[in-house]
Amino acid sequence: MADQQGYGLLKGKKGLIFGALDERSIAWRIALACKREGAEFSLSNAPVALRFGDLDELSEETGAEVFPCDVTNEDEIEELMQNVKEEHGKIDFMLHAIGMSPNVRKKQDYKELNYQWMQQTMDISAISLHKVIRYADEADILADGGSIVALSYIGAHRIFSKYSDMNDAKALLESIARNYGSRLADRGIRVNTVSQAPTRTSAGKGIKGFDGMYTFADKIAPMGNPTADECADYCVTLFSDLTRKVTMQNLYHDGGFVTSGIDEQMINDLAKIYADDEGDE
Amino acid sequence: MSQDVESKVKSIIVDKLGVDESEVTHEANFTNDLGADSLDTVELIMEFEKEFDISIPDEDAENIATVGNAVEYLQEKVS
Ligand SMILES: NC(=O)c1ccc[n+]([C@@H]2O[C@H](COP(=O)([O-])OP(=O)(O)OC[C@H]3O[C@@H](n4cnc5c(N)ncnc54)[C@H](O)[C@@H]3O)[C@@H](O)[C@H]2O)c1
Repeated sequence: MADQQGYGLLKGKKGLIFGALDERSIAWRIALACKREGAEFSLSNAPVALRFGDLDELSEETGAEVFPCDVTNEDEIEELMQNVKEEHGKIDFMLHAIGMSPNVRKKQDYKELNYQWMQQTMDISAISLHKVIRYADEADILADGGSIVALSYIGAHRIFSKYSDMNDAKALLESIARNYGSRLADRGIRVNTVSQAPTRTSAGKGIKGFDGMYTFADKIAPMGNPTADECADYCVTLFSDLTRKVTMQNLYHDGGFVTSGIDEQMINDLAKIYADDEGDE
Repeated sequence: MSQDVESKVKSIIVDKLGVDESEVTHEANFTNDLGADSLDTVELIMEFEKEFDISIPDEDAENIATVGNAVEYLQEKVS
């Protein structure tokens, strides 16, 4: 929990956090956890999000500077990295918590995807990871031994129909994390994705059928769905020095969902639900 | 000039919301008729600001719900 006492795991570390929109955002919870652990950081989000969201509040609460940046725009990213450089010099961690699909938002069926929107989905949700790493590196602000985390979802590997082209975007995101990770490894810089369970945030709410996805995962996962605050605690460990050789991984933070089959409770429940059907046969 | 504002407004709406030009009537409501969500509406306002080089205070933005509202507001601001 964000209000618990910290462990000082990120004392002296500096960072850059993308994707906090409102207090439910996973990035927002991560920013609070990083603050609690002693880190200093900057916050960034798209100009439209700065107008729409409540980022000022988080800025006040954490003492972090806010820099606008649309991550599809290379000039803006370049400028952002210069601002971050002036503010912190080098950074030890970077969080990519950015995702958006116009096709999902506008409920365009997967078989009839609007390809221009699909390009936007890829650009915003996946290729932007490459761009922010690249421009941070070109500005020479990535400290050796640092850590980069991007948030992913199991849709990268298994199909969740309502997640539409975001399934594809997350597969690309995870691949970019590995691919870039291999190129930063000699400097001890880790790049990982954390595959978080469904979480009630504004991105989550935008998905039609989200409640079903949430409940499904919650029922299958032996520990149930983890919260955004729990995800934040996990990300803190990845930003800390306790995970120095963890890199190029997709790490599940899902209460056991991904490796679960079916348990006895569910067998019994299903037997009840389908009892009538079987009686019909 | 006023014709100009109207056609610019309509082309921004067509572009941002991915709707057909024929749907962008004077009465069309962004949310109810053109399928805009809350993020789209903010994006639209910001596009208008950029295109016409003005700033639209949030209080005013809240009252711009239809294509007609937008056209009338911008015509007044720009003239
Ligand atoms: N909520 C879930 O169920 C869930 C599960 C697994 C992974 N994730 C991932 O976690 C991340 C954070 O999402 P969240 O659930 O906290 O929702 P959120 O809506 O709070 O965060 C998404 C962020 O992306 C930002 N963004 C969109 N377009 C942008 C652009 N062009 N430039 C810069 N920023 C832009 C938004 O402003 C927003 O802050 C996303 O990558 C999401 O896919 C979410």
